[in-house]
Amino acid sequence: MAPESPPPLRPIEFEILLTLAGGERHGYAILQETEERSQGTLRLETGTMYRALRRLVEAGLARPTERRQPDPQDDERRRYYAITAEGRRAAELEALRLSRLVAAARSARLLPLGT
Amino acid sequence: MSRDTRERIVTRLYRGLLHLYPESFRQGYGDDMAETFIDGWREARRGGTARALTFTMRAMLDALLNGARERLHDTTPRSRMLYWQDVRYATRLLLRSPGFTLLTVVVLGGGLALSIFTYSFLHTAMLRPLPLGEGAGIVRVMATRGVETQSIDAVALAEVRRGATTLTHMGAYRTRDIVVGRADGRRVVDATETEPNLFQLTRTPAAMGRTLLPADAEPGAEPVIVLSWRTWEVAFGTDSSVVNSRVDIDGVPTRVVGVMPPGYGFPVASETWIPLPNAVLATTEAGTTSFDVYARLRAGVTAAAAQTEVGTLMARAMAAIDTTSSARTEAVSAAIQSFPMAQMGETGPLFLAILNGLATLILLLALVNVTNLLLARANERVRETAVRLALGASRARLLAQGMWESVLICLMGGALGTVLATWGLRAITTWTRAHLERNMAFWWVWDIDRTTLLAAGGFITVSIAAVGGIVAMRAAATNVNAVLQDGGTRSGSRRDGRLARALVATQVSTVTVLMFFGVMAGLVARRVVTFDPGYDTHNLLQTSIAPEGSRYASATSRRVLYQSVVDGMAQWPEVDGVLLRAGLAEIRSAEGAFELAGRAVTPTGAPTAHVQGVLGTLGALGIRIEDGRPFDARDAADMAPVVLLSRALAARHWPGQSPIGQQVRLPGLPEATAWRTVVGVASDVPLGNPLARNRSADAIYLPLSQADANGVSVIFRHRGSAVAAREALNQVVASVDPLLVPSRVQTHEEVQATMGMITVSVARLFAACFGFALLLAVSGTYGLMARAIWQRSREIGVRRALGATDASITRLLLTQGGRQLGVGALVALPLMLVIGAGFTHFFPVAYALAATAGALVTLAIIGVVLLATWVPTRRVLRMGTASVLGRE
Repeated sequence: MAPESPPPLRPIEFEILLTLAGGERHGYAILQETEERSQGTLRLETGTMYRALRRLVEAGLARPTERRQPDPQDDERRRYYAITAEGRRAAELEALRLSRLVAAARSARLLPLGT
Repeated sequence: MSRDTRERIVTRLYRGLLHLYPESFRQGYGDDMAETFIDGWREARRGGTARALTFTMRAMLDALLNGARERLHDTTPRSRMLYWQDVRYATRLLLRSPGFTLLTVVVLGGGLALSIFTYSFLHTAMLRPLPLGEGAGIVRVMATRGVETQSIDAVALAEVRRGATTLTHMGAYRTRDIVVGRADGRRVVDATETEPNLFQLTRTPAAMGRTLLPADAEPGAEPVIVLSWRTWEVAFGTDSSVVNSRVDIDGVPTRVVGVMPPGYGFPVASETWIPLPNAVLATTEAGTTSFDVYARLRAGVTAAAAQTEVGTLMARAMAAIDTTSSARTEAVSAAIQSFPMAQMGETGPLFLAILNGLATLILLLALVNVTNLLLARANERVRETAVRLALGASRARLLAQGMWESVLICLMGGALGTVLATWGLRAITTWTRAHLERNMAFWWVWDIDRTTLLAAGGFITVSIAAVGGIVAMRAAATNVNAVLQDGGTRSGSRRDGRLARALVATQVSTVTVLMFFGVMAGLVARRVVTFDPGYDTHNLLQTSIAPEGSRYASATSRRVLYQSVVDGMAQWPEVDGVLLRAGLAEIRSAEGAFELAGRAVTPTGAPTAHVQGVLGTLGALGIRIEDGRPFDARDAADMAPVVLLSRALAARHWPGQSPIGQQVRLPGLPEATAWRTVVGVASDVPLGNPLARNRSADAIYLPLSQADANGVSVIFRHRGSAVAAREALNQVVASVDPLLVPSRVQTHEEVQATMGMITVSVARLFAACFGFALLLAVSGTYGLMARAIWQRSREIGVRRALGATDASITRLLLTQGGRQLGVGALVALPLMLVIGAGFTHFFPVAYALAATAGALVTLAIIGVVLLATWVPTRRVLRMGTASVLGRE
């Protein structure tokens, strides 16, 4: 398989990369942002998310960064995760794939035009 | 328990569960996961206990599922095959000992069933949002004075309604009995007199017709009623033409405008809804009337924020009212709770917390016992384990094998527990529907749901982690040399033996105490069911009225009200006697003390009696006048003060003579300090708390025309039609004071049946728990004794080789089992004495009965422990000397 066409991301991995594309996040922030974006319809469990993060880190699509304080008032520290250049490219390809699917669905009148 | 402590406990629990993940994964992400978990837990905690509990359960189940999946991911095809081999090996082991498998699965399944059931019960009863459109936002608003919760004054409510920004759809309601129908088809139902916006609040349209409209509450509007589905079924035989037809409500023709969907009973168990007239709601005179209040939290507002705002508004409004009416000094504030939480009252959460604590304790005992049974079994295989280690098997492999047997037992126990809990939840729904029909909150529908499954998943995960972890670690810690040298019989250290003996003693004492408590609770329940009130309860109805202090500020105004009710009821041919009664003082209280004219106070202090204010016919309660005369028109407020005495009291203080004409004084009652003349003697009726041991017939009756009471019980007898008599009461009270609402009318049988049913149900629940605790004692003691005796099998073999008989060895071991029994019983004895003393003091249970119950429970436990010692002893003895020693 050509290097420019990696296998499609799993939905949960795409969700995480989508969140990390907005900047570095710690675990709980990823969970919260994913749930907010899906308007409560997608609720990730801690174990499911970290297993997906492990896959992303192993594939070089995300990387853990240093531990730091999420809140300056609070001395508790959290590990942050960041998207890598490969991760950004994989997410872009996935977004493109999904947009093609949406266009196909629209032309098959599964979606109303203009949505 | 403080919030920090709770946080520490759940964090530790979660960190423990992370061991379900492979070590490599745990090292990389374990800390991050624990931090993410605690962030989520804190957020859930801010949303209330229910959310925090649900979050914890989800996290546990997540750890179990994802831990297993990650382990599968982490393995090579070869190791996956080894896993599969281990599972098959563990399955074979379990199938080889069906009795052992059944016992462990039943013990663990029972413990899990109790925990899942009680957690799900608690969640549905108190924590689950109302099953209505966005039910989580619907709240009950109450006024509080100190620890007392009360309804909200109409004028204060208007102020709060104007100022509250945190609440929407605020509305007032009150509940009462109404009589629906005509002539022989009449039926008493619960009615909620409410503002029409109640239906918008709950976002529930009518199933047929319409709900209430604002125009229905306007002055002069046609009287209308909305029926619940159940009332439509029961009272109108599912007649679909009932909508828009007219029915009599308390004798007034009223149009039925709609029927609500099945299962709808908001606010609690409403059977009908009628409009609360705007004129009543718009009262401008403070203290005239008060209401219960519902509302919806505005989006994004927490109950705590709304409580702060409403509390401030309420305090301000009540401060203005209090200057003109009552002189109560406690600060007024507000309480905002969900309807389920408010319905449980103050003691409900405590009771449910105790029940959950008990269930957790039993689950803990079950886990300890199953662990011990598995350890006892592992002991039997210790030589095989050692040989495999010596032949080069890795400890990790042995650890995994040790785990699987526990995992399979926990999964089977979990399945059994979930099935049993589901059955229990459905049974309790059916039972409450059948027995508590009119008292059932509409959200009390227990069944298997997401929360129950989450709870099951959470408890099973903890069980696997606890049982599997310990058993596997013990298997992996096998000392090869020691086992191969002595066959494992001495490999258990002396400390192990001591620990096992201590565990047996602890089990004996715990189960003895639990069983004794259960038996005593059963005895009390039996007394409640067979309770004799001491008077004829045939055709007897009872209710109460409590006039508002502000509208009935003086004793005279209250007397006029009470007299009007008695006179009005007497006009109705359906009513065969009415008695208004108020308990003014209890026996053995300072208020109940009395003095006799011409007699010195005894060294032990003034005698006491139950003091009751009465108005109407004592005969309504079955009390006869045996000497002298009853109260009559001669005993008005401005006439000579008089009393009636009970026969028991008269006989105690004037034995063999009539007390008529004697004088008594009640210095403890401010309104009755004058000397009073005895004008009659009434037959005895036991008075006081029906469940108290100190019920007594010593009574002094005062005419309510010469005493004062803020509220009275109304006891009346009907002539065959209870419905007609209830309608008479409603009409009389409405004609005397339209704002006065009597409490629900109940027959004596209903009061006793409800009290008895609840007591018996609680006792049965305890009995089930304690019955299971007994099973735990059997299995636990057996497991521990089996382990201990197995470790002594070499010693037993040597004793037999030296000529000891089986009988003497059995005696020896039973004696040693008896020692642990003695220690356990000694520990249990003081606790049993405390429990026995408590029950005999507070409930009508005789000392001899309590002592007999204690002795029987102890005998039962002795039998159980001796049996649990005898069975493994027989097993070892059956092996034969050569076989035991040959293993060396």
